Amino acid sequence: MILQGLKIALESLWANKMRSFLSMLGIVIGVGAVIAIVSVGTGSTQQITARIANLGSNMITIYPRALRGQFGRLSSISSQQKFTLELSEHLEEFCPSVKQVIPLKQVNGRLISDDVNINSAIIGTRAEYTEINNYEIAQGVFINQEDDLERRQVIVLGHQLASDLFDNENPLGNLVRLNYDGRIFQFTVIGVMKEKGGSMAGNLDERAYVPLSVVMDRLTAQKYVDSLLAQAYSSDEANRAVQEIEYFMQKHLEDEKREQFRITSQDEILDTVSSVTNTMNMMLGGIAAISLLVGGIGIMNIMLVSVTERTREIGIRKALGAQNKNILFQFLMESLSLSSLGGVAGIGFGWVATYFLAQYGNWPFIISTISVIIAFSFALFIGIFFGLYPAMKAAKMNPVDALRYE
Amino acid sequence: MSIVIRVEQLKKVYHLGKVKVEALRGISFQVEEGEFVSIMGPSGSGKSTLMHIIGCLDYPSEGKYFLTNHDVTKLDDNQLAIFRNKKIGFVFQQFNLLPRATNLRNVEIPLIYAGMPFRERQRQTLKALQDVGINHRAHHHPNEISGGEKQRVAIARALVNNPSIILADEPTGNLDSKTGLEIMKIFQNLNQKGNTIILVTHEPELAHYAGRIIHLRDGIINREEVLA
Repeated sequence: MILQGLKIALESLWANKMRSFLSMLGIVIGVGAVIAIVSVGTGSTQQITARIANLGSNMITIYPRALRGQFGRLSSISSQQKFTLELSEHLEEFCPSVKQVIPLKQVNGRLISDDVNINSAIIGTRAEYTEINNYEIAQGVFINQEDDLERRQVIVLGHQLASDLFDNENPLGNLVRLNYDGRIFQFTVIGVMKEKGGSMAGNLDERAYVPLSVVMDRLTAQKYVDSLLAQAYSSDEANRAVQEIEYFMQKHLEDEKREQFRITSQDEILDTVSSVTNTMNMMLGGIAAISLLVGGIGIMNIMLVSVTERTREIGIRKALGAQNKNILFQFLMESLSLSSLGGVAGIGFGWVATYFLAQYGNWPFIISTISVIIAFSFALFIGIFFGLYPAMKAAKMNPVDALRYE
Repeated sequence: MSIVIRVEQLKKVYHLGKVKVEALRGISFQVEEGEFVSIMGPSGSGKSTLMHIIGCLDYPSEGKYFLTNHDVTKLDDNQLAIFRNKKIGFVFQQFNLLPRATNLRNVEIPLIYAGMPFRERQRQTLKALQDVGINHRAHHHPNEISGGEKQRVAIARALVNNPSIILADEPTGNLDSKTGLEIMKIFQNLNQKGNTIILVTHEPELAHYAGRIIHLRDGIINREEVLA
């Protein structure tokens, strides 16, 4: 009976090719859209998380927080002043999950080569910076420990900055001048970084790196830094490291309410990003599912027309001995075939769409299996659900009236 | 001779809005196995209604109907469908073949609903087509053959399940007189082979092919005429 029903259903769908195709189209687009959107969402999320991971391994950043002014007093800058090199050493010492801490101090100045000058951010840092940030050197070397100890005026340029300052010339060994705070300092270029692209804190390629001691002692003569960059031993220990740092900072700064500092970890950023992208994916998938529902209504519409049009056929079949269940089954089979054929075509459509979108958006081509399963079963469900009413209508027809129908 | 059809005081009332229409007002008759009976009457005499009830397509409002000694009035929709499938072969004025199926597939339909396995079905279908001399058209579609040929296919379909009765409703109504006579010859032939046939018609010449004519008028039997 199942094979017979399927055969009859396919025959009648084939007899109305154009109509069958059009009513299937809603399901094709719906299933395709669900698969493409969810897959593209998965692919782009992977790309984003990979980029975040690329920013640095197990990186935890500690910033001073500006205090609110109270009772007419100015907001205190004291919290920033507590971010000293000693604090950095203490953190390294007292937090067992923390592998290393490096201080960062940024100044903004104008870098001048022969005839080009560019306003740029100069980061005072240490040798370990590249390791924590997953940042690689393209040419020359990065700042080393001795540069820092001896306050050598050496500079490493970001990829973009190097080409802006020196065009195609090899910048290594060249001198650049830094105009900071009205004074001129001379630096020797010792390295150029690899291209890294944008990050949360702006484009890394447009920055320059100099030894921390130069920024602190020669440029600013300040005893405090902007932020501390800590690295946990592994990503498993990152959460524990954050807790340790938090605890230590609370005690050290006598700041139980954590008003003087702020900690961001990569995990936290990843969590935020993935919760945002998950919400987006759910929402877009939901919208696509609505189009699937609309496709189902299209099928119901066509099935109702088909039932009315074939009233006489139903009458004939009943006169020849078809029971209500035979007729019900025949029409249900038809809507189910429509929706499952549409579902299969939709999987193909979604696959192709995902492929081209992935090519275009330059993210990994991933077909979300779960979206294929869900979209296809939803399509089958819709075929049954929206096919049931027309099929029941057909099954319940009175044979005498159906035979008389012109 | 066993009795195939026995109806007793059959009544059918239609309610058209507030108007009550009595299509059948108490009909009793019997048909024996192997008989050829014509039911004759002008339009509005109730012969279509009677045919629908005899054909298990409709229920009577009152009265009894026994088909091969089964009380049809007590059957539900599904059992009626089974009765139509096993005991009745319909031949309609409009042929009522499914246009998208081949003639073979059309004739096969009752056997499909009877749940017969494929090989046996195929064999029986071809035999029925052969019996009415239309087997050479088995793989054509109904719209590719003439009216007379269509009606032969329809008769093959009515025969294919070896029904207890063949119910023919104006089977020559859509045919020219020459083709109509050929179709009537087929019925005569089938009757001689032992099939029980009930012919509903309003044409006296056709009615006379039967052995007995039941004249209907205004929902009751006007008179019965036994021929030959």
